[in-house]
Amino acid sequence: MSWLRFLHRDRWDQERRRELQAYLEIETDENIARGMTQEQARYAARRKLGNPTQIREEIYRMNSLGFIESLWQDLRCGVRMLCKNAGFTAIAVLTLALGIGANTAIFSVIHAVLLSPLPYDNPDRIVLLMESDPAKGFPTFSVSPPNYVDWRNSATSFEAMASISPGTFNFASGAEPERLRGARVASSFFTAMGATPAMGRTFLPEDDVVGKASVAVLSYGLWARHFGSDPQVIGKSLTLDGKSYRVAGVMQNGFQFPPGAELWLPSEFAKDDLGPDARGAHYLWVIARLKSGVSIQQAQGEMQAVSSGLEHQYPRTNTGWTSRVVSLSERTVGNVRSTLFVLSGAVGFLLLIACANVANLLLARASARRREIAIRFSMGAGRLRIARQLVTESILLSGSASGVGLVLAEWAIRALRTLPPSNLPRAESIQLDLPVLGFTAVIAILTGLLFGLAPALQITRGAPVETLKEGRRASSTGRHGVRSALVVLETTLALVLLVGSGLLLKSFVRLQSVDLGFQSRNILTGELSLPRSKYSTGQQQIQFFEQVLERLESVKGVREAALASGNPMQGSNYSFAFATKDLQALAPADQPSAGYYVVSPNYFQTLGIPLLAGRTFTREDSQGTPRVAIISRALARRFFYDRNPLGQTIAIGAGQGTVWREIVGVVGDVKDDSPEEGAMSAYEPYTQMAWDDMTLFVRSDGDASKFATTIRAEVMAVDKDQPVADISTGEQLMAQAVAQPQLRTLLLSLFAGLALVLASLGIYGVMSHTVAQRTHEIGVRMALGAGRSSVLRLVLSNGMRLTLLGIALGSAGAFALTRLMKGFLFHVTPTDPVTFVEVALFLFLVALLASYIPARRATRVDPVVALRYE
Amino acid sequence: MQADLLQGTLDLLILQTLVLGAAHGHTIAHVIEHRSEAVLQVEHGSLYPALHRLEDRGWIASFWGTSENNRKARYYRLTAAGRRQLAQQTSRWEQLVGAINRVLRPAKE
Repeated sequence: MSWLRFLHRDRWDQERRRELQAYLEIETDENIARGMTQEQARYAARRKLGNPTQIREEIYRMNSLGFIESLWQDLRCGVRMLCKNAGFTAIAVLTLALGIGANTAIFSVIHAVLLSPLPYDNPDRIVLLMESDPAKGFPTFSVSPPNYVDWRNSATSFEAMASISPGTFNFASGAEPERLRGARVASSFFTAMGATPAMGRTFLPEDDVVGKASVAVLSYGLWARHFGSDPQVIGKSLTLDGKSYRVAGVMQNGFQFPPGAELWLPSEFAKDDLGPDARGAHYLWVIARLKSGVSIQQAQGEMQAVSSGLEHQYPRTNTGWTSRVVSLSERTVGNVRSTLFVLSGAVGFLLLIACANVANLLLARASARRREIAIRFSMGAGRLRIARQLVTESILLSGSASGVGLVLAEWAIRALRTLPPSNLPRAESIQLDLPVLGFTAVIAILTGLLFGLAPALQITRGAPVETLKEGRRASSTGRHGVRSALVVLETTLALVLLVGSGLLLKSFVRLQSVDLGFQSRNILTGELSLPRSKYSTGQQQIQFFEQVLERLESVKGVREAALASGNPMQGSNYSFAFATKDLQALAPADQPSAGYYVVSPNYFQTLGIPLLAGRTFTREDSQGTPRVAIISRALARRFFYDRNPLGQTIAIGAGQGTVWREIVGVVGDVKDDSPEEGAMSAYEPYTQMAWDDMTLFVRSDGDASKFATTIRAEVMAVDKDQPVADISTGEQLMAQAVAQPQLRTLLLSLFAGLALVLASLGIYGVMSHTVAQRTHEIGVRMALGAGRSSVLRLVLSNGMRLTLLGIALGSAGAFALTRLMKGFLFHVTPTDPVTFVEVALFLFLVALLASYIPARRATRVDPVVALRYE
Repeated sequence: MQADLLQGTLDLLILQTLVLGAAHGHTIAHVIEHRSEAVLQVEHGSLYPALHRLEDRGWIASFWGTSENNRKARYYRLTAAGRRQLAQQTSRWEQLVGAINRVLRPAKE
């Protein structure tokens, strides 16, 4: 077909019209010659020619670029149809936009978080190596330095292996000191990560030697922030924890590992760190790069062999410890994966419900358009052609819906991007990029086909003559089957989502109402980390902290101030093995462990932890007096049974020279690790066990956040180079702790709520339509004496039958699916019968309301009007 | 296959009809019906698209003329390419018919 002909096709059509006209005239002439009347002759000629329009169309099609041409026609026609039915279009587009928007948003998260590779060279070869002692409750655990050294010397599966010891460093610069996140790393760290510097160099093997010239590598961000992107920065010095370091290099923009790290220093293992006793001190992260051709399983096999060798060699410390090899990407996103899996299932369901709803709308409209379509048929339109036009309309609908959906998704993504990385790792890289847009385009077309195909097939099936005969009273019972099935489907999916969100909501409420054993209201916390270079002795550290506490407690509005080596609001920092006289004989590897805190006397009062027996620490507990300890109730119950623990002794931190401390008090349990069970904890006074890394707690009369500047000022009044990091209120910390369950509960509930609204709209729509179609029948019934209540019952029972079927199917579906959420549930089983019944009842009531409104309309039918309507 | 065969046949018949001279659509249909002793009924629904197709391929050309009864009508005539095409198609048709006949009525041994 030539373009020329395509452009001239209208002229051609005119020609053909004239030609066919000529044919009719000639034939008519001949017919008259055969003896027919004028009228008969014309009629016979027409009959012989057939449908002239169809002939013209066929020729017209030959002249056009078939598909594009008719597509353009269909699109124009579709836009006209959609504009004409603005109300229908708005509802359909909005419904679909919700479904498509939700899917786009969740897919963009999955794409950014799970599917895009980490920003390192060959990231799939980077693995984390961890120690593991499942029997003691440590499925994955940090690595002790001597074990790391032995691993590095004997394992052959890796190109490079490096230790990482994340830490914070006080950085003195300008007026206010700052605390920076960073890590001490082995020189092979950058090789293992596959990261190259933007300028300067990374570490060399000789930097690993303790006592050599101190060098540091900066992150791109720190270089820009503190050195004004100075190109001459290499070789300049910076002071960290009172010690001077020379800048060796600056990393590429975006390199941040461990997450949040801004600078890297060479690891410093002193003799003690590598000694035999240090094998039990687990605090290193170890990463490695697999040699090409070595699988994770092979590496795992080798590492297990290495660990069991160490177990034989050092039974005292290594019994029970093996090792685990996990890919870094797996570790980074591991716990989010299942959340995203559940959420993507939920939005998939939501989209299906939206599709069912729109299909229902289209079917309802199809009855109205039946006459139009029948006329088209009789004018000579082909079935396929009409079906294609209807599907084009549907895709137009879903296409516009994706436009709106993308806007919704962009809003959602903006909200998600502001989440801290603890809730959603890599959240900052979520965006509507090309793959996401492609995904949206694909689901737009698929949904268009999904909800458009059934109505299109339905509408083009019937015999046109019948429809035309039926007149305006276009009623057909056949289509009801499909619409009812769609309502059942919607109810089923909505019930599954509602059960899922019901279970999460219940878990969340129970999680929130758990008594954690401490108060977080009106408390402000901050982190203090004293540099060893300046505070080398315990006495200096104690003195510093005493002064800070004294100054803070005299501030107006501050009730108490306290210090502890860990913050229970963020999970206990330390866990140590301990022994009582009964347990003394056990090998160190078998001794039980407990949470361990070094605290100031006021700690229990500040955090509202109740004293159950004995006394708290006082100022009299000092270096010169006998060592004392306080234990939690769980520890007392478990290891002292019915004996009074007061006056008994306990040794904490086994294997490092046993020091027996007298138990002077028992306090309430604190759920610092998980809300599941009260952890056993042991406390020591900071005046007897100096600690350089402390959390500061300040409890005030009212809102604590306004004391942030006061705390900084008071600390700087004691030491002007000492920063206070991570100042946050107790409420903020507690919110952070439940942020992830909160996020998934919120999102799933949102999706389930939308599903409920859409499903009840679906029920309402179908019932309204039924009532409208049965007006005549209802009129007859009422004319024959049926009461309003029996009409009401007639309509309601119809709607409720569908709902009940949906609820039954949905319950079965939920029963099968909720087990996938087991890991998210807290004190609720995946098949919690109460939740199932509550949700089913709730959905039933909503559905009842949705069909009650049209049912009431049915009772208002005036029999006379209904019958005359005929 | 069958559709192709029939369509090709109609093209062949039209070309053959035009060997005698130019004719308009009505005459073409009439001649085909007449010559086949009314066995072949030409559907006008396919006649005009076929004429269009043949013209599109350059095998026939058209012009407006006056009919026997003084009506304006569109006439078609064979082009040189059409004549070649007719010869080719006729010989193919004869081969085909011969082949089918041999299958239907096998030669006596």
